Amino acid sequence: MNPAKRIGLAVAAPVLAFAIAGIFASALLAVTGNDVAGFWDTMLTWPENRQLVNILNQTGILYLSGLAAAIGFRMNLFNIGVEGQYRIGTFVAAVVAGEAWLPGKANTLLAIVLAMVAGALWAGIAGLLRVTRGVSEVISTIMLNSIAGLLVGYLVAKVGVTTGVSTGTKTIPEESWVGGIQIFGDTPTELYGLVLLAIVAGVAFHVMLNNTTFGFNLRATGRSESAAVAAGVDVKRMVVTSMLLSGAVAGLIGMPVLFGQAHNYGTSFQLGIGFAGIAVALLGRNHPVGIALGALVFSFLAEQGNVLNILVGVSPDIVAVTQGIILLAVVIAYEFVRRYRLRLEQSSVAEQVAGPATEEAKA
Amino acid sequence: MTSLAPAPSTTDAVRVTGIGKRFPGVIANHDISFTIPAGTIHAIVGENGAGKSTLMKILYGVQKPDEGSIEVQGEKVSFSTPSDAIARGIGMVFQHFQLADNLTVLENVVLGAEKLHGIGGDARAKIEEISSQYGFGLDPDELVETLGVGERQRVEILKVLYRGARIVILDEPTAVLVPQEVDALFDNLRELKAEGHTLIFISHKLDEVLKIADDITVIRRGTTVDTVKPADVTSRKLAELMVGSELPSPSTEESTVTDRVELEVRGLEVVDAAGRPVLSDIDLTIHRGEVLGIAGVEGNGQTELVEAIVGMLHPSAGTMRLGDQDISSWHTRKRRENGIGFIPEDRHRHGLLLEAPLWENRILGHQTRPPSVKGGWLNRRGAREDTERIISQYDVRTPGPDTTAGALSGGNQQKFIVGREMSSEPVLLIASHPTRGVDVGAQAQIWDHIREARRNGLAVLLISADLDELIGLSDTIEVILRGRLVGTFDPQTVTPQDLGSAMTGAGEEK
Amino acid sequence: MRRFSKIAAVALVASLTLAGCGNDDNSSGSDSAEGCKGASGDGPKVGLAYDVGGRGDRSFNDSAWEGMQKAIDDLGATCTEAKAAAGENDTQREERLRTLAEQGFDPVVAIGFIYSPAAAKVAAEFPDTHFSVIDGYSQFLVGEKPLDNLVDLTFAEEQGSYLVGVAAALTTKAKHVGFVGGTHGDLIKKFEAGYEAGVKSVDPSIKIEVKYLTEDPNDGKVGFENPSGGKLAAEGQLDKGADVIYHAAGKSGNGVFEAVEAAGDGIWAIGVDSDQYQTAPAGQKEHILTSMLKRIDTAVFEYVKAVGDGQAPSGNVTYDLAGDGVGYSTSGGFVDDIKDQIDAAAEKIKSGEVKVPTAPAN
Repeated sequence: MNPAKRIGLAVAAPVLAFAIAGIFASALLAVTGNDVAGFWDTMLTWPENRQLVNILNQTGILYLSGLAAAIGFRMNLFNIGVEGQYRIGTFVAAVVAGEAWLPGKANTLLAIVLAMVAGALWAGIAGLLRVTRGVSEVISTIMLNSIAGLLVGYLVAKVGVTTGVSTGTKTIPEESWVGGIQIFGDTPTELYGLVLLAIVAGVAFHVMLNNTTFGFNLRATGRSESAAVAAGVDVKRMVVTSMLLSGAVAGLIGMPVLFGQAHNYGTSFQLGIGFAGIAVALLGRNHPVGIALGALVFSFLAEQGNVLNILVGVSPDIVAVTQGIILLAVVIAYEFVRRYRLRLEQSSVAEQVAGPATEEAKA
Repeated sequence: MTSLAPAPSTTDAVRVTGIGKRFPGVIANHDISFTIPAGTIHAIVGENGAGKSTLMKILYGVQKPDEGSIEVQGEKVSFSTPSDAIARGIGMVFQHFQLADNLTVLENVVLGAEKLHGIGGDARAKIEEISSQYGFGLDPDELVETLGVGERQRVEILKVLYRGARIVILDEPTAVLVPQEVDALFDNLRELKAEGHTLIFISHKLDEVLKIADDITVIRRGTTVDTVKPADVTSRKLAELMVGSELPSPSTEESTVTDRVELEVRGLEVVDAAGRPVLSDIDLTIHRGEVLGIAGVEGNGQTELVEAIVGMLHPSAGTMRLGDQDISSWHTRKRRENGIGFIPEDRHRHGLLLEAPLWENRILGHQTRPPSVKGGWLNRRGAREDTERIISQYDVRTPGPDTTAGALSGGNQQKFIVGREMSSEPVLLIASHPTRGVDVGAQAQIWDHIREARRNGLAVLLISADLDELIGLSDTIEVILRGRLVGTFDPQTVTPQDLGSAMTGAGEEK
Repeated sequence: MRRFSKIAAVALVASLTLAGCGNDDNSSGSDSAEGCKGASGDGPKVGLAYDVGGRGDRSFNDSAWEGMQKAIDDLGATCTEAKAAAGENDTQREERLRTLAEQGFDPVVAIGFIYSPAAAKVAAEFPDTHFSVIDGYSQFLVGEKPLDNLVDLTFAEEQGSYLVGVAAALTTKAKHVGFVGGTHGDLIKKFEAGYEAGVKSVDPSIKIEVKYLTEDPNDGKVGFENPSGGKLAAEGQLDKGADVIYHAAGKSGNGVFEAVEAAGDGIWAIGVDSDQYQTAPAGQKEHILTSMLKRIDTAVFEYVKAVGDGQAPSGNVTYDLAGDGVGYSTSGGFVDDIKDQIDAAAEKIKSGEVKVPTAPAN
């Protein structure tokens, strides 16, 4: 296949997906009596600078979540528990940073490392259950999500400080905060400093996946566990290791907001990023760049959802449904393109060996 | 093709002419032809992978043939779906039962066929009628989960008859049955035949086939070899037809066997999940430069033997030594690093990442060794270059190392695997059915590669269903039967007939 | 297998991310179905920011809307509504308030304490716009100097809960009552504390069952939008012998009503926030003893009016029994015979003779 065709095919799927999603979303808006023209008008308006900052912030957070999910997905391990790992990790970091055993940024660093450790251990439980007892990681991580919520809720009530009707962990001392970055001059919102973690994690993921033996084993196990076993991959160890890695990245998800905005773990803690990350990973085909684009799309929609709600009167539920439609459309479109590409490749191989193959068949 | 083309007759239930079916990279069937007279039991035999199941799927409308024609009761038909086949009175009883455990016999039978006789009294009457007519002895209201295997199978057959089938295909129906149940099944089948049904019976158990069939069609390498009467053949002759003895034999060269032991297996035992032994008391020795062939009817422990030596499953007893090292406790990776090359029986499941490009497949099984890897880091360029080398050296027909493995034909995939396994200069090569599903040209090339490696001092464990291959390549042949090695033969003197009787256990009786 | 699991994963994710979208229940009365669209007066331009769920919950958010409706009718106010999506963070809430302020809405009413950090930030950015947070705690978040344009509108839920606790204690025959809370957070603990104190004030020997639908204070979904959980919790308490159950669990309370209705005569439930006798189905009405009234409608209306009059409050305004900000309902007439005793308790609270705790005893 020539490069032009290759790129064409790579672009075809997302274009097809967004076309499908656009049509369905418009139909849905029309059926529910919403202002379709207004919807598109708002959607296609370039966001204001402060909104761009919000979008980038949310993209970074979602990206980390998507990466966490993708590490498991790449070896057919469905870590649905990113949400729980994220909560545990964020809570641990908030407590540690709030206690401030170390001064300044050392405190920050310690908290971030412990967040990763906590997330990894939480995920590791599911990994161990899978390799020792054969418990499906889908079931165990869903249960661990619930347990994480209850455990953290209980602990916050136990150790937290109450402000009005909100109880949260101790506020992190200001010297340990990670300041924002003003990227567009004077906006009331700033890029979280720790959003840059997303870039680091993304590059690390890419290198790990494509350039290391570990990454190769991970992908091989995902593509064919039986072939990996025959090739000498210790699948059990891979399961545990990738769950640990996945959980460690999940532990990072809450860091930008914790050190950049909230400064404690409390009632206004954001829920559901872990689940959104699964969607983003699927949207991005578990590819480091794809996930970034997926996260960008979801963040953009979420940000525009606000404006749509206020200016056009479109319910945020519709925006959520649109996200769902995009996701399904992308998965379907990719499957179409994948099959098409395979057929194309087979016919090109057949051309290559056309003569001998058919003769052999008749022999 | 001795029994081809008797004059077209309406008394023929099924007539298949020149059926061919290709999948990307594999030719599953070609030029399949046979005729089944109405009211007979027709067996179709062949080794696993010979193309039986594809043929059945074509007859039952699951797949469309690329060429050839099918006539049912003298009429030319073309099935797109199984319901087309059912409409023509063809029914299929699958090897794996398709029953809902928590429903009753009646519910299972009417499920999906509610329009025929409703779901109430009429249906019950019909089921009872069929059941008593053929001596099935089934109670319509019994829950399927309480039934034994034999009874379940009868429910499957009842389902097919209920839908009006006159031609019933049974896929390996005895595979799941104990001998008494087999006898009961055969009684039922004879009843069905007496009522004018036509039965197509697929199996590789030769003695059973000889007992029940009126005609036997043998399939090998995707095509019909012959159709014979049970009275005219022995089980030995049938085995020969199945595995082939008239193909050009790979000529044996002079022995390169040395006296240095490369692999030594002692007292190997493997048990299955239920604790029953699938391999017992296996003692094997392979010297450098020696090819040890394992002959046996499929399912007698060959797969387990291979997997135990590669380290994919854990034996319950026994030791294994590679050279002068005890490898019994080693993990697969360490065994491979120390020179075990592996050509798996099922290349799609165990040999390749079908969705990955060839150069990544080059790394598979060699994740810790150059040229594709350097200290934990992949060496993409090294892997690519070495893939190019394999492509040219082993004549893999592909546009290049970036082609996904799944796009290649079976023969080319296999040549690639052979090339890969040879590239790390193994000391022991485990070749499990190395030429199965491979075209004749590739087969000869693979044989040449194995012979050359043997000349260079490689020890080879060769498992094959093809007796000619075994005889032509091996220095020693061991026969495996029910998980035990039951005889050692010298390929120079042995005949396929000798092997055939040892494989089927006929030798034991003497 | 791989394809299958991928499809399964997509379906799972879709259900997880989209769950809760189908909860819109627009049966809250024809007068409010149109929302802000019908209003066209020249009074204050109000921006309403709801939490997840929005108008139509028959409880908290609807109560706020009733106040807005009154402002439209009486003050000629106009408005726009915005509601939260599931799984938001403070940034998104800030942006909602900011957009409303930017569009010229004044005042901006944020419904739910979750908006407190966002309001504290945005109010500083828009000094000329008035912000209020129902149940809020933003005053603690603005630093040393309070903002003139920001107010928390809070309620003495414990006082109202005390009164329905008295009603429960006077009604129970089994000397055994129950409490079903949504999430185990500080806000709902106030309800529990007041109720408990009220019950004990009548008869310290009465046994009280307490059940929160979730211990996770962030999980509003299981806490407040979970009627089946509410039903299960109530059934558990009924099995233990309780015969009056007070709920502070939003929509989950509908499950409590169902359980009580099914338990038959002599078994009672107590509603919360608004007079739930009015909105309950006929069969349940006979079992709703009373409701703890939390007059969010009053708070919203008074706040809009004050802003319109140029007298916007700041800091904190607490609506308590004395100001009729909380109370109890008498619809159905089931508490007529004990009304005197409840009112007497109310007088004691108003006079300061009884001080109701805001956190449960244990």
